[in-house]
Amino acid sequence: MRFSHFTFSILMVLIIFAVAQTASAQALDISSGGQPTITGAVNGSVTGSINVTNDLVVTINFGEVSPLNTNSIVKVTVPIALRSNQPYQVSVSATGISNANAQALQSSDVGFGLQNLRLLGGAGKICTQSTHIIQSPFNNDPATSATVNASGRVAYPSSLANLSSSTLLLTGPELSKNNSSKRQQSDGWIFDVIFTITPQFFVAGSGSATLIFSIAPGPNVPC
Amino acid sequence: MPRFSTAALSKILLLAILFLVSTITCSAQGTSTTGTVSISATVSKFVEISSGGSVTLTGNSGGGVITDGVTNSPLAVSINLGELGPSNTNSFVTALVPLKVRSNAGYVLSMSATVASSGSTTNKISAADVGFGLGTINRSGTGVNAGADTNATSGDPTLAANGSINGTTGRYEFTAVRSNLNAFSSATTALSGPFIMNAVPRSNGNGLTVPAFFAVKPQFFENGTTTISVTFTVTAP
Repeated sequence: MRFSHFTFSILMVLIIFAVAQTASAQALDISSGGQPTITGAVNGSVTGSINVTNDLVVTINFGEVSPLNTNSIVKVTVPIALRSNQPYQVSVSATGISNANAQALQSSDVGFGLQNLRLLGGAGKICTQSTHIIQSPFNNDPATSATVNASGRVAYPSSLANLSSSTLLLTGPELSKNNSSKRQQSDGWIFDVIFTITPQFFVAGSGSATLIFSIAPGPNVPC
Repeated sequence: MPRFSTAALSKILLLAILFLVSTITCSAQGTSTTGTVSISATVSKFVEISSGGSVTLTGNSGGGVITDGVTNSPLAVSINLGELGPSNTNSFVTALVPLKVRSNAGYVLSMSATVASSGSTTNKISAADVGFGLGTINRSGTGVNAGADTNATSGDPTLAANGSINGTTGRYEFTAVRSNLNAFSSATTALSGPFIMNAVPRSNGNGLTVPAFFAVKPQFFENGTTTISVTFTVTAP
């Protein structure tokens, strides 16, 4: 039994397609940036992977945030790793925390800021012609920038109330030196997302929210 | 037209399939353009009682405030009412103890009291001889919710409307509703109302303040000593 050139050509196309898939597989990537941490919590916790090659899946339980928690603030730091071989932008979409009672926990009671953008190892790319830009108003640590407003409630420069269905957080030039089809331990950048809640006399109840971070091609800036 | 053997093409086909599968697998497990952070928090009911400030003692002969109240500190006041026999010629010995209550939920302030006298007759000081009431309730200051409270007592026990001399026995009696400690031999509601604090930190020092009046009218009580112990408890039902 023999095959024609036509059959051979189809096989070659399949192989080329596979090669093309490989070459473009790691153009943009977001993953865990390491172990998340929590401080000041009572009955709270945070779970996430310490491994930077694992997906970003973090669960934060702030625990008790009534005055039963006598700590001044509950702070959670979530490191997020980014990889790209092209200019990028990071956005977030948020849903949740919609209590009708104004004295209950609201989105504005959860401080949200970005800090500490840093290289993830030696294969992270340093560009000299463009900088990574944390979008306003998110460039702050809400744990150190919280204030008390005229009504006596704690306010933050940025909070979950600043997030909508798709909110731009970060832009910049390419992040990775290599084009590996798989995540490496040291081929990108990391930044910290900081969440805070100050225990207050909120109306009793609970609140929850889900944030989805995404990376996409960004403004075409030189490296 | 060149042709290929079945065996050769089978190998090429197998390699291609393996390559495709591995590529797709690596792409799915190795990278992602999205990540998820889920957040939750809990707010439990919270109530607290503390001192609303210094004690005011009037009409006393001897005695004094032994342990005074300190605003926003735990309530632990100790008072010596002094002489309560006829040698004290004042109408009443009155101690005014400021209370501060804070909550993020509807609250109930209850009180229980014990009165123990060393005498052996019915003329010794009893719980009914110690007048009690809560005065004007004040919700003010940044972060305090403007709610309507229910005072279950009759207020200042020394008011004329709240007591009088018993026409039969001649003994002065606090007669109004919950106007003496006999009504508080077990935990009994003295005050209740809606949530007190808006969403503000505990470091906000404001709250609901109310004076607690304790009064004794000096009379020909059996001589001896008396110890009065009062416990306030606030709950969020």
